[in-house]
Amino acid sequence: MRAPDAAALERVLSRALGAGDYADAFYERRVTRSFRLQEGGVRDATIVVSCGVGIRVVSGERTGYAHTADLSESALLETARVAALIAKDGRASGPIRLGPQPDAAPRIDAASEPQLLRPESATYVDLLARTDVAARAADPRVRGVNAVLFDELQEVVIATSEGRYVADRRPLVTFGVQCVAQGKERGNGFAGGGGRTNLDFYLSRTPEDFAREAARIALVNCDAIEAPAGELEVVVGAGSGGVLLHEAVGHGLEGDFNRQGTSLYSGRIGERVASELVTIYDDGDLPGERGSLAVDDEGTPGGHKVLVENGVLRGYMHDRLNASAMGTASTGSGRRQSYQSMPLPRMCNTYMPSGGSTYEEIVGSVRRGIFAASFAGGQVEISKGDFVFMLAEGYLIENGKLGAPVRGASLTGNGPDVMNRVAMVGNDGRFAGGYYTCGKGGQYVPVGVGMPTVKLSRVTVGGSALGN
Amino acid sequence: METELEIARRAVELAVAAGADQAEATCTAVQRFSTEARDREVAKLEQSRAQNLTLRIFVRGAKATFSTTDPSPAGLENFTREAVAAARFVESDEYGGLPEETGIAASDASLGMFSDDIAARSAGAKIGDALELESIARATDPRVVNSNGSRVSDTSLRLALVNSNGFAGQYRSTVASLNATPIAQDGAAKWSGSYGAAARSYGALEAVGAVASKAAHRALGMIGARKPATMRCPVLFERDVASNVFADVFASVSAANVASGNTFLAGSVGSRIGSDLVTIVDDGLLPLGLGSSPFDAEGVPAQRTVVMENGTLRTFLYDTYHGRKLGHASTGNAAGGSVGASNFYLEPGTASLFELIASTERGVLVTETIGFSVEWVTGTYSRGARGYMIENGALAYPIDEFTIAGNLGGMLAAVDAVANDLVFDQAIVAPSFRVAEMTISGGS
Repeated sequence: MRAPDAAALERVLSRALGAGDYADAFYERRVTRSFRLQEGGVRDATIVVSCGVGIRVVSGERTGYAHTADLSESALLETARVAALIAKDGRASGPIRLGPQPDAAPRIDAASEPQLLRPESATYVDLLARTDVAARAADPRVRGVNAVLFDELQEVVIATSEGRYVADRRPLVTFGVQCVAQGKERGNGFAGGGGRTNLDFYLSRTPEDFAREAARIALVNCDAIEAPAGELEVVVGAGSGGVLLHEAVGHGLEGDFNRQGTSLYSGRIGERVASELVTIYDDGDLPGERGSLAVDDEGTPGGHKVLVENGVLRGYMHDRLNASAMGTASTGSGRRQSYQSMPLPRMCNTYMPSGGSTYEEIVGSVRRGIFAASFAGGQVEISKGDFVFMLAEGYLIENGKLGAPVRGASLTGNGPDVMNRVAMVGNDGRFAGGYYTCGKGGQYVPVGVGMPTVKLSRVTVGGSALGN
Repeated sequence: METELEIARRAVELAVAAGADQAEATCTAVQRFSTEARDREVAKLEQSRAQNLTLRIFVRGAKATFSTTDPSPAGLENFTREAVAAARFVESDEYGGLPEETGIAASDASLGMFSDDIAARSAGAKIGDALELESIARATDPRVVNSNGSRVSDTSLRLALVNSNGFAGQYRSTVASLNATPIAQDGAAKWSGSYGAAARSYGALEAVGAVASKAAHRALGMIGARKPATMRCPVLFERDVASNVFADVFASVSAANVASGNTFLAGSVGSRIGSDLVTIVDDGLLPLGLGSSPFDAEGVPAQRTVVMENGTLRTFLYDTYHGRKLGHASTGNAAGGSVGASNFYLEPGTASLFELIASTERGVLVTETIGFSVEWVTGTYSRGARGYMIENGALAYPIDEFTIAGNLGGMLAAVDAVANDLVFDQAIVAPSFRVAEMTISGGS
């Protein structure tokens, strides 16, 4: 179904605004195709279509929200009426006039059904079949191979009572392969990647590359020993180590928690919150990265944001609502899972730029610790800032050298505490493979994370092996 | 307007006409209300109705799935043809296909799945409850100074399932829930607490005052928390986190994970896994259970299955596909294209949580876990946690910034006490229980 035209959106927004301060309409049409490889064959083809309009009305700090998949004008007007129920005491508005769609954001031609990137099913199936062959060929101990390939196109149109009228077109491909290997014990390995691009991505990062990487990690984990328990020096690997920034710092800098004063970073702009080696950016404008957006889900361009600079807190990430309540401007961080959800301030691509040390210098400086080569994910509690992140591939470090691999363990600490213990920053900054998804308030959005190799002088490692 | 049953019938006919050998359509209509209050103000109000159609088609056993928010004839036609075409590229599978025809004995009424009080309760009363959650939480103690909001929400679902083997069934269900997330402050430090309740009706929900007060006490209790020493000791899991552990146990007995070798329990049916105290049941027919329904996602009747009996693993849980593959009948656990829990629970014991604490000389009570690290193929378990140090049978002081680690199989074997506080407030639940020994990783 096509987006409502400008004239219809103007009438709907006029109804929505009523006695509120602000209203917006978010049209989304998203088609996701995915194929799944299991036990030697492609077992499942899936198509998911999500299409509708969400209408929001803001009155002071109150927000009303309603959505509809019926795009007739009568259904949209009724949705606007329901969203406006929360409004009170605001100004009565005159008719709303939308501006022209600016050229900066990609336009959607309302006169033609949007053309999707439509490879043949055989293309997906072929990529997955190659994955299976490569993973099994990597080593006879590889017993199980599962893989999944997602190809999505999300088209959005955003219109606001202030006259903003923009569109964005967001492709997203995601590929992941999991191998189970049987050695001394069973081991599990995962690899994957993608971004805001199309299947041509897998011409350069081939399914064979990912398959061999997942097989390698599975074999490493077959020989893994129990991780130690207690406080140790930890070297966090480049790339997926960015999960640490996302959890230990990023969430605490989201505008809603800071407007409410519930984050431990509330009211601390300009203060020292980390070691001076720590600089953290969030950026929605990195071509091809998984968390990139031409405009956010409120129509604001999301560029480069300095969160922490040389250890000093510089700024929060804002959507429109929280920014205006704090007397500042949106940073283009308003994101939503779909037209069925209201926007929240969220991260896009969060990363730390490279520092001056080499990987060898960093690992070589550790007497006894852990090398956390990659992470499966993480979680944080916002108010006190305690976070956990989960190891996917890790090794002991003994006297400056990598030792035995260790089994999946959680690492835990307190955000500012651990960021104050950043002792060395590598010169090898890079983004993790594009497969991380961030959950907040029940809404899931794709994000990017990146980091160079970093040494933390002390972190609690949650293994089960006690010793000295 | 077309009913969900009519839409599902139309979708099945369309799929068969497009070349599917077999087809199954599930059409849902969900009505949702949600409000959030902060301090003395309403912050959010969301109301919606949404339809969804999910169509599974089989061509020579090969499966394709199509799901859409637009089940209109125009919305279905092209994509249904595309799904049938895509299935031709999918490996044909001897185990694929619809379940055999069966009779359904239970109904939404017999299972108490639906309550009129969801629709009858006014929006104003629900908003009033959210405001009251906030005010009671803040009135609990002067140190409760802030919150991430209190929420009242409900959903009403109508579901119709039709397949080309002649099955047609439908049911209605409702869920109401309350949740509060107050923050206690002591100096510059902030501690959050969260507590919620859910039930099939507003009438069956835990009282607003009790929910608010428990949430506030969770935040207050953590004031002054410190990092515990690294050690091995008994670990008590309070009810909510006990349920999280059993979500991991569920994943370990799912036939989907057994088939892919992705669980440490593969090949262990008939073996002794847990202690005598561990009896685990999955019951899709439990009256008022939030995981109950007359039939599962592919129209197989729900049933009661004893998964583990006094420590011995009796069976895995199956949908039709994994059942055929592993030589077992479906246990009525199809969900979302794979295997899901109905009401999956650990049988309660007779002692209270207080008595469990009193019988623990020195140990840790875990009241919250953070993160999700379980390595399924070995059962290696490691999670961030918060809770209390237990000394001489009493809570001594709050602790945080630590992890608990062990092995899921080893933890089940070491369960040496189970409490009597089981509540069916979600699909996977457990009473508080104690594991004789785990590793606490904290400070030195």
